[in-house]
Amino acid sequence: MNEGGLGPTAREITQARLATLGMLVAGIAHELNTPLGALNSNHHVIERALLKLGEILEDEVVTPDELDEVRRVVRATESVLRTNGIAVERMVNLVRNLRNFGRPTTSEPRPVDLHEGIEGTLALLGHELKEIEVVRDFGELPLVVCHPNRINQVFMNLVHNAAQAMHDGGVLTIRTRAEGDHARVRVADTGRGIPRDVIEEIFEPGFTTKGERIGMGLGLAITLQIVHQHGGEISVESEPGRGTTFDVDLPLRPPTGPARKEASE
Amino acid sequence: MDEITPDAGTVMVVDDEDMVVDAIQGFLELETDHLVLPFTSPRAALEHLESEPVHAIVADLMMPDLDGVQFLSRARSMRPEATRILLTGYADKENAILAINEAGLYQYLEKPWDNDVLAFAIRNGVERSLLFRELTERMAELEAANDELAGLRQRWIQAFL
Ligand SMILES: Nc1ncnc2c1ncn2[C@@H]1O[C@H](COP(=O)(O)OP(=O)(O)OP(=O)(O)O)[C@@H](O)[C@H]1O
Ligand SMILES: [Mg+2]
Repeated sequence: MNEGGLGPTAREITQARLATLGMLVAGIAHELNTPLGALNSNHHVIERALLKLGEILEDEVVTPDELDEVRRVVRATESVLRTNGIAVERMVNLVRNLRNFGRPTTSEPRPVDLHEGIEGTLALLGHELKEIEVVRDFGELPLVVCHPNRINQVFMNLVHNAAQAMHDGGVLTIRTRAEGDHARVRVADTGRGIPRDVIEEIFEPGFTTKGERIGMGLGLAITLQIVHQHGGEISVESEPGRGTTFDVDLPLRPPTGPARKEASE
Repeated sequence: MDEITPDAGTVMVVDDEDMVVDAIQGFLELETDHLVLPFTSPRAALEHLESEPVHAIVADLMMPDLDGVQFLSRARSMRPEATRILLTGYADKENAILAINEAGLYQYLEKPWDNDVLAFAIRNGVERSLLFRELTERMAELEAANDELAGLRQRWIQAFL
């Protein structure tokens, strides 16, 4: 690891933050799109259905044929409303999961339920995880004093990397445990793994094997920095062809008062 | 059997999200005369195509297992006459444009889609499929006629030799 070595520059941090923001926005847009599409279409169907019913009811007399049509329209509307219920629930859940993502960075660290951030991350990256089985092995975790949005960025980078390493599907396991005076979050994938000769370099800013269009090689450098700012540690183990495991250890409260502010602010 | 008109015809709807399939099916059944075949698994949809033709297929781009482009490409080789329409999510435009050639797309629509636009695309898609079938039949007839002519010519030539 580049302990004491050169960390990412302020410019790189800003760049990476923009990339995370882009990921966030894309994630939200993607996740909202499906329920929104259904709601939008169904809204239109209900509108027309009511119009139809209104037309039938306009003249006092309703013929048996018309009655059949009324029944059909009502049945269809009921089914459309059921779908709407599911769509609304999906959107509510998504927004609930995102509660912690929008907090300003400059705020003081505060006690945070890490599981919320993990759920938010998984909800946001849902479209990248479609072919991946996600296992939540959550233990009892006390609240951790930290900057939730920064810590969420850590989860986001790790989960994003894991998803990218499992193009053809696999299992993503997120395990949380309280161990003494710190919390440990393990993000493990069954993806392609990291070759032994580069594993020392993955936390270096700019190191990427994904090509410039996909990765900037900043995800892990920023992750390391955030974890260090919180007085924590991150370690990695990997077996090429079998998978990779990252362990993030965070003290339940930062050792020396509030965590340091980062260079870009 | 009744002549199928562009306003009827069979439409296959494939999306891994129940919600989307339900919404499109609900709309088409209430507002059109299309027969709707809903599928949440592209593989099951392909199995169905194996045994039954359809006039139009609406498929989502982002599906696990088999994405919309792969699915429509296979559907194309099995049932070239079925018109293919792709539904794409946010920011998938580039992929959709690539797919136009790969899957021989008739049209792609972005989510959230507009029902009237969808209905219009499907109606025209069915019409196109019916024309395609008629054309293939005519071509076959023409070919048969051609073969006959060639045979005739052969016999004439032989008669003069
Ligand atoms: N879970 C993982 N499985 C396999 N390789 C990984 C994993 N996580 C990281 N790596 C390797 O470490 C490199 C650096 O990761 P990092 O997140 O810093 O950058 P990146 O993902 O390439 O780009 P960016 O995060 O800026 O989009 C990756 O390019 C990849 O080779
Ligand atoms: Mg990364």
